[in-house]
Order: sequence, then C-alpha cells, then structure tokens
Amino acid sequence: MTATPVLETRGLGRRFGGLKAVDDVSFSVPEGQVLGVIGPNGAGKSTFINLVTGHIRPTSGQVLIEGRDLAGAKPWSIAHAGVSRTFQIVKPFRGMSVRENVAVGILYGRKGTSRMSQALEQADEVLAEVGMSKLGDRAPGGLSVADARRLEFAKALALRPRLLLLDEVMAGLRHSEIEPSLELIKSLRERGLTIIVVEHVMKAILAISDQVLVLHQGKVLTSGEPRTVLSDPRVIEAYLGQRYVQRREGGRS
Amino acid sequence: MTPETETEPTGSDQPNGTEQPSGTDQPTGVEAAELGAGVRSSAEPVWRRWLPFGLLLLGVLVMLGAQSQLYSGQERTVAAIFMFVALAQGWNIIGGFTGYASFGQVVFFGVGGYFTAVAMSHWGFNFWVSLVVSGLVAAAFGALIGLPLLRLRGHYFAIATLGVAEGMREVVTNVPGLTGGGAGISVPTVGKDATTAYLGNDGFYLLFLALAALSVLVAILVARNKFGFALRAINQDEDAAAAMGINTTRAKVSAFALSGLVTGLVGSTYAFQQVTIFPQRLFDVDITVLMVVMVVIGGSGTVLGPLLGAVALQFLSEYLRRNFTEVHTFILGAIIIAAVVLLPQGAVNYVREARQSGEWSLLANVRRYRL
Amino acid sequence: MSQFLQATIYGLLQGGLLALIAVGFSLVWGVMNVVNLAHGSFVILGAYVGWKLNSAMGLDPFLGMLVAAVVLFAVGYLLQRWLINLVINGPIFITLLLTFGLDLLIVQGMNITFSADYRSIKTAYAGDSLALGSVRVPVGRLLAFVIALLVTFALVALVNRTRTGLSIMATGMDRGAARLMGIRARHAYALTFGIAAALAGMAGTMVGTVGTFNPAAAGGFTLLSFVIAVLGGLGNMYGALVGGLLIGLVEAWGGQYLPGTWVNALAFAVLVLVLVFRPSGLVGRAYYSARQEV
Repeated sequence: MTATPVLETRGLGRRFGGLKAVDDVSFSVPEGQVLGVIGPNGAGKSTFINLVTGHIRPTSGQVLIEGRDLAGAKPWSIAHAGVSRTFQIVKPFRGMSVRENVAVGILYGRKGTSRMSQALEQADEVLAEVGMSKLGDRAPGGLSVADARRLEFAKALALRPRLLLLDEVMAGLRHSEIEPSLELIKSLRERGLTIIVVEHVMKAILAISDQVLVLHQGKVLTSGEPRTVLSDPRVIEAYLGQRYVQRREGGRS
Repeated sequence: MTPETETEPTGSDQPNGTEQPSGTDQPTGVEAAELGAGVRSSAEPVWRRWLPFGLLLLGVLVMLGAQSQLYSGQERTVAAIFMFVALAQGWNIIGGFTGYASFGQVVFFGVGGYFTAVAMSHWGFNFWVSLVVSGLVAAAFGALIGLPLLRLRGHYFAIATLGVAEGMREVVTNVPGLTGGGAGISVPTVGKDATTAYLGNDGFYLLFLALAALSVLVAILVARNKFGFALRAINQDEDAAAAMGINTTRAKVSAFALSGLVTGLVGSTYAFQQVTIFPQRLFDVDITVLMVVMVVIGGSGTVLGPLLGAVALQFLSEYLRRNFTEVHTFILGAIIIAAVVLLPQGAVNYVREARQSGEWSLLANVRRYRL
Repeated sequence: MSQFLQATIYGLLQGGLLALIAVGFSLVWGVMNVVNLAHGSFVILGAYVGWKLNSAMGLDPFLGMLVAAVVLFAVGYLLQRWLINLVINGPIFITLLLTFGLDLLIVQGMNITFSADYRSIKTAYAGDSLALGSVRVPVGRLLAFVIALLVTFALVALVNRTRTGLSIMATGMDRGAARLMGIRARHAYALTFGIAAALAGMAGTMVGTVGTFNPAAAGGFTLLSFVIAVLGGLGNMYGALVGGLLIGLVEAWGGQYLPGTWVNALAFAVLVLVLVFRPSGLVGRAYYSARQEV
C-alpha cells in the first residue's frame, strides 16, 4: 500500500508573460525522504519553491500537500499545512532578537502555543536544536553568515513542519561550515522530517539526498538516485560540465 | 546530535562589517540598538509590566487636576494637544508598528466627523451614539479600503491612501444634499433640534483627554501583545512573516481598521466641537502630514514617541503661530526638514539607541540613512 | 460638437504641458524611489523666475524659460546632493516628510517674497489664436505644447543614448552594480533630480504664459504629477507623455461636462484604481519592478 506522499505536484507551471519559469513539473516526495533539486541558474528552482510555499501563484497544475490541493493558497495557509522553508537570501526580523525571530514561528506557525512567554521558552528549545543556544539575545544583524543561515533553519523548524524546503542553504559557506549543516539536515531526517534541498553544492547533494530531481529551463530533465543522475550525460551537458566529471573521477570526492 | 557551534570569533565572513560578535551572548553596541523595543521575556518583573499603565493613569490624573488651573484659552490649546496625541497614536498603529505609511489617514477623521454631523443634524442622533457609530463606521471603512489597498507597498500604498482621502473630500463636496457640500454642515447645538447639550470647553477638554488616553492605551496593548508582535514582523519582513504562518492580510486590515477607529472617534468629537465643518478642513492633507511628522519626530513604532511628538509639535506650532505669525509655516517647514534629517528614527528611538551604544553624536546619526 | 473639439484641443495642449511637468517627477520616482512632494513648487518657482525676468528685463518668457531651467537645475541638483541624499536610504515616509517640509518652505518662501497675488506673464502674441475650422488654438498654448513635446523627446534621447543618461538608468535599476562599475550614484541621483526640477521649472514658465499662477497652485501640480506618473508607469517617459495627454483630456472634458468638481474625484478614482489593478501603469511595463538596493 502506498502512503500519501507528503508533497506531490502535477503539471505545476508558472508563466511570466511569455516565459515559462516552471513548466509542467510533476513528481512526488514520499514521507521521510530527502529530495535534492539541482539545475543551472534560471532553471526555475526558486520559482518552484515559491510555488509550493504559496509566495507565487501557479498558472497551471496542482500542489498536493498530503493529498490536499493547495495550489495558489496563501503562504500562511501552506505554513499551517505543515510546510516551511528557508529563504535563499536570509530574511531575519532585524529589529527582534534571535529568540524572538524564532518565537514568531512558534506563535503563529504551530498549533497549541498562544502565549508570548510560552513561545519564547519554546524558541530556546528550537535554538538548542540548531546549536544556537547562546545566541538567543543577539540581534540578527551581527550574526556571521553561517549563524544567519542557522537562524533561517531555526525559524523554519519553529513551525514543526512535516515538509521543509531548503533554498541553497550551503551557498557561501566555508567547507568547515558545510559539515555541521549536513549533520543538522541528517538529524532532521532521522526525526522523520521530509526535506527538499535545492542546492548547487554537489558534495552536499550526494551526501544527503535519497533522490535527486534535475530542473532545466523550468522542466524536469530527469530524476532518480543521486549517483545515477549526476552521471547522466544530459545532466552533465546541461549543468555539471565535463570538468566536474573529470574532477570527480580524478579526485573521488 | 548536532555539536554546539560557537560563533566565529572574528573573520572576513562577517556580513555586516562593523560589529564583532563578542564571546559573551550579551548584545552590544549597535547590535543591541537594533533590537529596539523588544518583547519582554517571562522573566520580566511584575512592576515593569504594569509601569506603562501606571504612568498613563498618572498622566490622566495630572491632566484632570490641571484643568482647574487653566484659562479657557489654555484649555482649548491643551485639548488640541490631546486631539493630536490621539491622532498620532492612531497613525502609529498602521504607519509605525505595521510600517504601512498611510498618507490619507485624514479620511477617517473626515468620515468620522461627517458621519456625526450628518447623523446629528439629519437623523436626530444624540452625540454619544453618533460618536460610537462614527468610530465603527470609520473602522469599517478602513477594513473596506484596506483589503485592496494593503496589497500595495511603500509609496504605492501611501499615494493610494492619499488618493482615497482626496477623492472622499471631493465626493463629500459634491453631495450637498447630504453633507452641505462646500458650504459646510452644522451640528445643531441650540433649540429643539439639539439632541445633546454642547459640551463646552470643559467638556471637550475631558473628552479629548479621554480619547488621548484611550489611544495611548490601545498603543500599549498593541505594542506588547501577540497582535503587535505580528505587526512588527510584517513591518520587518512581510514575506518571512507570511511564510511563518502569520495571516498578513488579516493583521494588516485589522491594524488599519483599528487606526481608523481611533482617528474616526477624534474626527467625530472635532465635528461636534467645531459645530460647523467643511470638507476642506475635515479632509485636509495637512492634518495627515501633521500626524506623520509627530510620530516620526517622536519615534515611530513606539508608544511614547507619538505622545511626545504630538505635544512637542503642537507647542511649537502654537508658539510659532503666536510669535511669528507671517512666517510660522516657513519656520515649521524648516523644523520638519531639520528634524527628519537629524533624527530620522525619532527622539525616543534615538535616545534608546544612544544609551545602549554610547553613540550620542547627531552627526553620526545623520549618516544612518545617507547614500 | 465644436465645443467638444475645442475642449479636446485644449485638453491636448494642456496635457502636453502637464506631461513635461510629470515626466521629471516620474523619472525621479522610478530611478531613486523618491516621491518629491515639492515638485509642484518647482513648477511655480520656474513661473516666478520667468515672470521676474519678464517684468524686470522684458525677457520673452519662451527665452526666460531656459534661464528658469538652468536655475531650477542648480536648485534641484544641490537639494538632492546635500539634503535629500541624507535620508534616501531610510523608510519612505522619511523622504516624503522631507520633501513635504521642503514644499512648505518653498511655497511659503514664495508667498513671503512675491505675495499670494495671482500673476501671469504677458506676451504680445500668446493671446492670439489660430483658427482651425471652428476651433480656436491659442498661440501661446500651441507653442508651449510643441516645446513640451520636443523637450520630452530630447529627454528620452538623453536618457537612452548618452553615457550620462545610461548611468542614470543603470543606477535606477541596480544601484549596487552601477556603483561597482564606477558610476557615481550620488551624482547620478543629483543629476536626475536636477533634470526633473529643470523640466518642471521650464514648464512652469510656460504655465505662467498660458494662465495665472500663485504659490498655492503648487499643490495641484504635484497631485497631477502623481496621477500621471502612476498612469504612465514609474520611470516610463513615454508613459508620462501619454498619461499627461490623457489627464489633460480628462480635465478638459470633465470641466465641460461634469458638474462641480466631480472631475477631481474622477481623477483620484482613476489613480486608486490604476494603483490597485495595474501598478505598473497603463502604458508598457514597469522599468523598475525588480529593485536591488545596495
């Protein structure tokens, strides 16, 4: 018996005037899976995330979250349906402390918490999960890039989502910073979270994805096991390039 | 589980070059200043929670006591100050907390005032009923226009609300049958048509004081509860707020309607006080601008800011009007420019930030928003 | 019918002038995201410059307007570079307040200096009319219209084809990138503002020839500039032209056929509707819909 996938899109599409930013994208993500989404710039990855999370309305197709079609629903409805995300360019609430940033999600994204004081306590728990316990009183403006990304994580986790969409969380991180992020994602998967990871950093994709989806010019190019997909000649041509292949074969990274 | 990660002690990966995160987790300097009026944690002492209400009560009592000491002319001046306190606080809810700068706020003033005038003169309502209903009508109007307009951001929203205010003025001017048009409309205050006795200087002093106190109370409540928290989140990053589950449409429209309620109540009282009102006055864009200036100079998004700004600006305006009658508007313009350049974040925020960062220089302050 | 034609001609002629006034306002809004509430006062200031030159030296206003343009350019450049620039990175109501204060200052300054009396700039020929069938076309208005159109086209050419113009557009689209490429953003902004003020001042002198003016008229021009800029799309110069003509027509027809001041209510209704349903304007695409500020 197949369980309802946490996320399924059918023919999802969005056009801007004559341009189809996302074109007939159909796939599904079963519960507990980590799906990597890759593709060249302009492939429609960010648009795709925005379509799923309700920041942009689709011009065609369906977005089924645990079986319910929520295409075109407002971002907060989708948040309440158990979907949360990080933003590629981090969007902290600058006038609030790190703790308060997370508390917003707890107050408004989670069921069952309606008092500020409660939310602030629970925010500390979430901060502990991402390893930011000591930063609760800080202003987001002074955080390092790695910590700012972590805050995005924390804010997304505050909603206790069933599905988490990560938009290029590794971008700009140093090698020493990527490992902890990968550990965090793995620990989240162990807790049963379904995660979609949009990334350019192939090392990360290989390390954590169960399946990989390749987008190119708004369409699905291919999907499947990470190693298979990354060896696919079409993917190499469209995105990775021959030098990547050579480097991998030479260095076994 | 995930190993605890310390913050990077120094490094070129600081996105905002100026601030070094210290080894401790206390917010320092500029960083702390950015935090502004944070929400108190549950560890806040009880007396702190009740302090604003206590101060408000004290203020009201003082002003009540002061009434007997004032000449009637002074009474009117102080009543005008109360009126602007209420107007400024009303604007602050949508403009300061939520960050949607309404440049047509006077429309609620006019709607409230005209509804009262029409209700009292055409439909025989008494003032107190008119007051309440006018406030509700203004709030409903706010919800109605808020739904389409709050989808706009920044300048677009400001201009659209301005357009609505100017348009309403024209509409009111062009239906003389109902509103008396450009010739104005009068509230009956004597004779058998007068449904409510005119309140007189003393009465209006008290009523405006009550409205000012109400507006400050609303501001305190909004600032510290869940609703205000949502508004601040919307102000600081609306997309993130929506993604985290805040129904931004509902929050914004509620804020707008609430600000309309406060402003409408003031307009209604003003109409009764003036007895005869005209569209050019009740929908005067200068009133909106005064509200905005008061809030900005005082400190937008705070409770104390609009209060201080209203008091300061009214005093200033009165003083200038008395002593420099011909050039008082000119000087007012110069003062607005100076205030906006030197203290763009407003006095209250400036003081708060300066105390935490130790940076009191106005010159440094000017650099904040400079290109 | 001839009344309708007459109103239409008047509307178009006035609309051309309004377009010249509004195009600078639209450019400033589109490039710098500054809504200049003092824009109308620049118009009137230009009118006074032309009037003063005419009454003191007998200078023909259609030459005087060039002087007005230069003077207002200097005023605009300096104001932007040393005043407005100080708050340009802040929330929008800060710049709105600043320009409002500026408007107060300038309008009151003119009241004090020139008094609130209505003025106009008389020329020997402006009152004459050409006859086109049953329609009268006043020479002054026709001249103003032609000049307004020419200047607007010259502006488009300047912005699209010269290095200066391109630096302005680039700064408007992505300030950070423009600066990285060596464009001096502060200078570009100040130029933009100066150009807008110059055009407003030039148009103001022409306004003085076709009708009367006094300091209180400033507000009306600012408001019309809003409506036209929004209709045409911010930063879209051809859009401002079309918007100006449209508003000119609406004003003329409305004045003919609508009772009272309903035409004003109509203008505001149009403004709000366009903002809600098509904020990029009626004409073409918004140039600056994707803004990136650094």
